[in-house]
Amino acid sequence: MTQRRRTAVLPAAGAALLPAVALGVLLSLPAAAPAQPREASKKGAKTTSAVPREIQTKTLKNGLEIIVWPDHDISNVALYNWFRVGSRNERPGITGLSHFFEHMMFNGSEHHPPGSFDRVMEENGGSNNAFTSNDVTVYQDWFPRSALELIFQLESDRMCCLSFDSTVVESERGVVYSERRTSVDDDNAALLDEQVMATAYVAHPYQFPVIGWPSDIEHWTMADLKSYFRTYYAPNNATLILSGDVTPGEVFALAERYLGSIPAQPPPPPVATVEPPQMGERRLVVRKAGQVPLLEVSYHVGTPRDPDAEALDLLRTVLTTGESSRLYRRLVDQERAVVSVGSSVMEGFDPGLITFQATLNAGRDPADVERMLYQELERLAKSGVTEEELTKAKNIHLASYWQTLETINGKAAALGQYHVIRGDWRKLFDGPARYAAVRARDVQNVAKRIFDERNRTVGILLPLEERTTGGDAGAKAGGAR
Amino acid sequence: MKAALRVCQRAAALLLVAAATAAVSAATATTSIAAAQTSAAVALPKVALPVTREVTLPNGTRLILAEKHDVPLISFQGYLRGGSVTDPPGKEGVASLTAEMLRKGAGRRSAREIAAATDGVGASLVTGAGTEASFISGDFMARDTALMLDLLRSILREPAFPDSELVKLRQQTIEALRAQKDDPLSMLSQYAAVFFYEDHPYGRPVSGDEETVGRLTRADVLAAYRANYGGDRLILSMVGDFDARSMEAKLKSAFGEWSRAASPLPSLPPPIRRAGRRILLVDKPDATQTYFWLGNLGVAQTDPDRVPIDVVNTAFGGRFTSMLNTALRIQSGLSYSARSRMSRLTLPGTVAIVSYSKLESTQKAIDLALVTLGTLHASGLDEQTLRSATRYIAGQYPIGFETGGQLAGQLLQLAFYGLPRTEVTEYPARIANVRSPRELLPLIQRVYPSEKDLTIVVIGNAKTVRPVLQRYGTVVETSIQEPLLSAVRRVRSAAR
Repeated sequence: MTQRRRTAVLPAAGAALLPAVALGVLLSLPAAAPAQPREASKKGAKTTSAVPREIQTKTLKNGLEIIVWPDHDISNVALYNWFRVGSRNERPGITGLSHFFEHMMFNGSEHHPPGSFDRVMEENGGSNNAFTSNDVTVYQDWFPRSALELIFQLESDRMCCLSFDSTVVESERGVVYSERRTSVDDDNAALLDEQVMATAYVAHPYQFPVIGWPSDIEHWTMADLKSYFRTYYAPNNATLILSGDVTPGEVFALAERYLGSIPAQPPPPPVATVEPPQMGERRLVVRKAGQVPLLEVSYHVGTPRDPDAEALDLLRTVLTTGESSRLYRRLVDQERAVVSVGSSVMEGFDPGLITFQATLNAGRDPADVERMLYQELERLAKSGVTEEELTKAKNIHLASYWQTLETINGKAAALGQYHVIRGDWRKLFDGPARYAAVRARDVQNVAKRIFDERNRTVGILLPLEERTTGGDAGAKAGGAR
Repeated sequence: MKAALRVCQRAAALLLVAAATAAVSAATATTSIAAAQTSAAVALPKVALPVTREVTLPNGTRLILAEKHDVPLISFQGYLRGGSVTDPPGKEGVASLTAEMLRKGAGRRSAREIAAATDGVGASLVTGAGTEASFISGDFMARDTALMLDLLRSILREPAFPDSELVKLRQQTIEALRAQKDDPLSMLSQYAAVFFYEDHPYGRPVSGDEETVGRLTRADVLAAYRANYGGDRLILSMVGDFDARSMEAKLKSAFGEWSRAASPLPSLPPPIRRAGRRILLVDKPDATQTYFWLGNLGVAQTDPDRVPIDVVNTAFGGRFTSMLNTALRIQSGLSYSARSRMSRLTLPGTVAIVSYSKLESTQKAIDLALVTLGTLHASGLDEQTLRSATRYIAGQYPIGFETGGQLAGQLLQLAFYGLPRTEVTEYPARIANVRSPRELLPLIQRVYPSEKDLTIVVIGNAKTVRPVLQRYGTVVETSIQEPLLSAVRRVRSAAR
């Protein structure tokens, strides 16, 4: 898959392509919605952002929503099954359970003993994956058209009749713990981010890490799992998306046959907690072995359904996308203070954060970098963005809009993201117009509102002086040559 | 750096392997060109390559053009033969630095102006180096063709290599190399390559290390550019919303007059397969897991048995239910992931098991990996596993042929390795023909090392892991704090 990262990162050649790359691409698609159709080539059909007529939807009696986007370029299908459950639905004691549950959905159901789901899928040409966020749990299958009915059988069996084998539960605990070690405990940036989230939210469950706190990973019980399944894995809590070499008619018929008899459940309890407004800066320090210091700064923002969500997205683009971005120019190029700087905006059901992360040059004082960052944010709030920057940001979004629509996977992911998180898949196609309508002062207004020191959480990771256990390890991390 | 990916994913993405990066990547590609099919029940997937317009200009530049009009985008991918194998000893990383410097000023444009022009139209323009080629790739909206072709021409043919930018990029590279040490999994293949290949150019870390990069000067970059950039080195593949005939004319005028590179390509001896056990332990005292690489020399990209090798590697360690992942993850919960990685280049590269486990279960995990390798050697694949692997490959194959970028990458790979289009279009049928488990056994024994002949590279907490590793043979040791190349070379010579 072509890499389309656009964060301001020095390409570290030779770095292994880790899972995060593919996932990052996938998840950044929907966030990176389109910009103006204004000047995008003369070939009419391509620039209109009309809702494609071939997309069809249906809701089964049990509440399961289905969206189908036929595309016959290749003989394959991408399926995304979205459940509205994530770490946002957890509480102390069961943090990480949504994610653990995601693993358990592959580990045995009525007609498929543990291991069978993957084995059957792969021997019929299919592959799968799944991910869990603060807000949702999403199951993905990619398969040849010939496996369509089989996929429905497999999905039906685990949605209707998941089984819980205690040996498998224990083994999977080990897998998840290994995942935590690799992706958080041995990854300084992720570890710092975990701390920042836990500090930025004091009331709302966004404070819980998706992977779960270690002691909770060790302790959740069979009863926790069963009640979770009943509550959240009901058809009325799911949206099923297919894109690829299918017709809506055959998909609806298969869905009716295989998923139509799974009973609806009472709606899950709403997450009622609202994060109270932050009243002052919060700071934290992590001390851990490492080569370089890290800085992470987060500000509370709204939700992707807010009217200024596009302005916020363009703001982020101006600040950190590409080597022409303001923070790259200032921090990487001009001050030579950081290895890389990037940003992200959470896209969930409840108000999220905009987060800036910087990997500092060894020996650089985080306080310096912090000061420079604030100068840039304040400059933007005070003087706004130029028309040139705004056009650039819109063009970047327009390009990634088209790139999203190049693949059946991109289409399925984007439909799901728009439908589940933003409330309506049709909004995907309004994107170009909505981005085109953003004015420079809209971007400035967002900056003014958000970049308030009382609204920020600052995390710093400082490398511990490392004592090596083997021989003369020499080489303190010194300054640059 | 990762932008707050607050998401947990079930499995390391096995799918969506960037086939286009094979030639330039020293160590990736679980299943680089993967695909297949069998049995009457499933039809062979149709894999269509677009109609291409291919020309070789008098100066040797090869152009491969294909129209694709479904979205108003154009993608391109180019290789310049060369890459880190051309780095002079002691100047490791110079090909990479040179490729990165292309964007830091060219013709009348400064680094800033190049970045502003590219970002301004929502385009991407990436340059870098791999083991056997430097690369340039990007995509842009069709309306911006004139600008992007001018940029492409300018950065390749008239880079300025301004000293001020070089100083910055060199420092950034050193800092990035240092920061990468906090990510043990990404360092593992680099340590493995340096330790395994010894002084063979395939072992060079493409980016060099903080010591070698620190020594690089503008004169080094200029020398590397003169030696290795020129019309005869360039293969450029472009797919998208354009008229092929007129695009050909534009590219001819951009590159037709480009002179040849000053140096011949180096002729490399084949890397050597290593007998016996050799063990490198890289101390990272704060690591909570042990990351290990168990490997030896494997095969070349154009190995005559490449199709059955794809099948075996998929079944052994290239998919979720692979033998390795079944043993180390599904059945035991020892690890989040276990794979068999093949690095296939013009000459044979490495084949290796890569996995990790918590400190206390290091021995269990390595033992289990060895047992699984032993099983592959002794019994090969059973009929059902073979059939499943071929159908899996076939079912997934078309997914690599959707975007302009993917198609450009596929066409470029074929040209780079001198393979015909049928390599791709007939691939599903060839995979389907891999039917006999018995015939695979000699192949397995040729390609995969026996457990007696393994290079073992481990990153972890030395105090805990050292006694465990000593059970497998003599261990040499270094620290992740030290510059990669000199550290590994020192322990290697000490071990002799």
